[in-house]
Amino acid sequence: MRNRKNFSFYSFFTCKKKYEFIEGMLLILPAITVLFIFGYFSFIYAFYLSFLKWNYITDPVFVGIENYVRAIDELVKGISGAPWYEVPFFMGIRNTLIYTIIVVPIQTMLAIVLAAIVSSRIKGSSVFMTSYLLPGFTCSVIIALIFIYFFGQRGFINYLLNQIMPGFGYPDWLYSKNLVIPAMAIVAIWGTSSNLAILFIASMQAVPRDIIEQARLDGAGPIRRFIHVILPMIKPTIVYAIIVGMIGALQMFDLSFVMAGPQGGVEYSGMTVVLDIYRTAFLQLNPGYASAKAVLFFVLMYIPTLIFLRKHGGGLK
Amino acid sequence: MKTRRFYALITFMLGTLFLLVYTLPFIRSLIVSFMTWDQASKIPPDWIPNPFTLENYMKLFRIELLPRWVMNTVLYGLAISLSNVFLGLMAGYSFALLKYPGRDIFFNAILALMMLPMFVTMVPLYVILVYFKLIDNLVALPILGLVSVNTVFMARQYFLSLPREYFEAAKLDGASRVRIFFEIALPMAKPLILAIIVYQFLGAWNAFFLPVIVLKSPENYVYAQGLNYAFSRTWYVEYTPIIAGTIIGSIPTLVFFVLFRRLLIGGIVIRSYRR
Repeated sequence: MRNRKNFSFYSFFTCKKKYEFIEGMLLILPAITVLFIFGYFSFIYAFYLSFLKWNYITDPVFVGIENYVRAIDELVKGISGAPWYEVPFFMGIRNTLIYTIIVVPIQTMLAIVLAAIVSSRIKGSSVFMTSYLLPGFTCSVIIALIFIYFFGQRGFINYLLNQIMPGFGYPDWLYSKNLVIPAMAIVAIWGTSSNLAILFIASMQAVPRDIIEQARLDGAGPIRRFIHVILPMIKPTIVYAIIVGMIGALQMFDLSFVMAGPQGGVEYSGMTVVLDIYRTAFLQLNPGYASAKAVLFFVLMYIPTLIFLRKHGGGLK
Repeated sequence: MKTRRFYALITFMLGTLFLLVYTLPFIRSLIVSFMTWDQASKIPPDWIPNPFTLENYMKLFRIELLPRWVMNTVLYGLAISLSNVFLGLMAGYSFALLKYPGRDIFFNAILALMMLPMFVTMVPLYVILVYFKLIDNLVALPILGLVSVNTVFMARQYFLSLPREYFEAAKLDGASRVRIFFEIALPMAKPLILAIIVYQFLGAWNAFFLPVIVLKSPENYVYAQGLNYAFSRTWYVEYTPIIAGTIIGSIPTLVFFVLFRRLLIGGIVIRSYRR
């Protein structure tokens, strides 16, 4: 009946289809153009640049895979123990990996704990929530500048550590070769766990109440309920948080730029990969070599992450 | 019942401990911003400013470029808010409510860009800006931020969540799609527009990576970059004015957080549900 009545409308509609295509394309065209130029075109262009020897001014020279050979050579030399000033790329990769290994597990666990506290519905949990979430929205540079004061020789962190463990001493964290990466890691954990907690709060709220009630009736205490009921239910969120955390940690730039300085700190102890690429491209004016490093790091680090995401992130939705 | 109260007490204590961990840096900074540098670097730390001084804020505002940094950031935020609202709404509407061949391919191509890290594209972007003579030009930042993948995604999800009946009814009444966009979609998109503006503004305020690459002379800096620049020249002399600067820098975040808490939290949750 209805179909019959609307028959004329549908035929009207099909003949308008061409217009819908044109209109639809016109509406997405500006966004698509911008995003494709700054995304896909730049990506291909980076690949092209990585085969050039260039300094932005003179005519570029095509050098084949020379830049890649140089980058890999730097890595090999670094592994076999070359002095730090010869191998910034290796130092960057080493520091970034150490940083990622420290940051990702701790920030994920902390975020879960924070979310559990907020979701426990005890008195004041909304106050807790507000205070936990604020750092996640604050500018990373502002956070870094706040913490630089705390990490100073006579700063709050040294004071606190000496209260807990007398005899810790008063090191200058940012100028100490072994402490600058842990200092950045602490700042990053503080900020990112706050951000990730939001995800866990949301996914814990989505756990059906009756399953938890049932577990309680079966005699499971709060800790067992948490480990055996809630944790399995939020597993997709944990996978997602680990991946987002890894992607973020591997690209860390702001904190090392502010806390260790644009030159990578004492003996490159605060150098990260992205900071090294930045220096190569914009301070040493070598866009070809910088692009080669970027493409290499992208392949080395990102493809495993993406494969992991494809495999384990599928349950998300 | 007893164990339950025991667990509640443990949770409360743990919660309070973390409350201190996550708020103390801000509170300590606020207190220290009213101290002299001599008092601020005391061990054990003092908690009450004595003498109470506004000198740090005065010194901060004596940086001639500070108003410019704030203005640059605000302009940057306004520009990308505006362009993101326009381009994002257009694209989101088209992706959500129109049907045409190639639509989903384009949408997935845009979503995939989310996985493309900035460090790969930064050198080419710089070269493009060099070509158009936009290096050290404040206009370069809004051009790079004209529209973000996030905005398009958010707009599409929002239009998909609206009841389709409104649009079907208007179509049956013979309204043109242009009219449907302006008279039905746009008035219903007010929450979306607000969300885009809040996100882009906060994004501009927190931006650092792109400004560091693009802007060279201090008078063009954005606030965070400028504060870092001021810091790099005063370290070890006196840090308290920089602390005052971090307090000023946290104010917009705090205001946005208080006003739009649900919006900000909701946005992060939505983003995690895309594939």
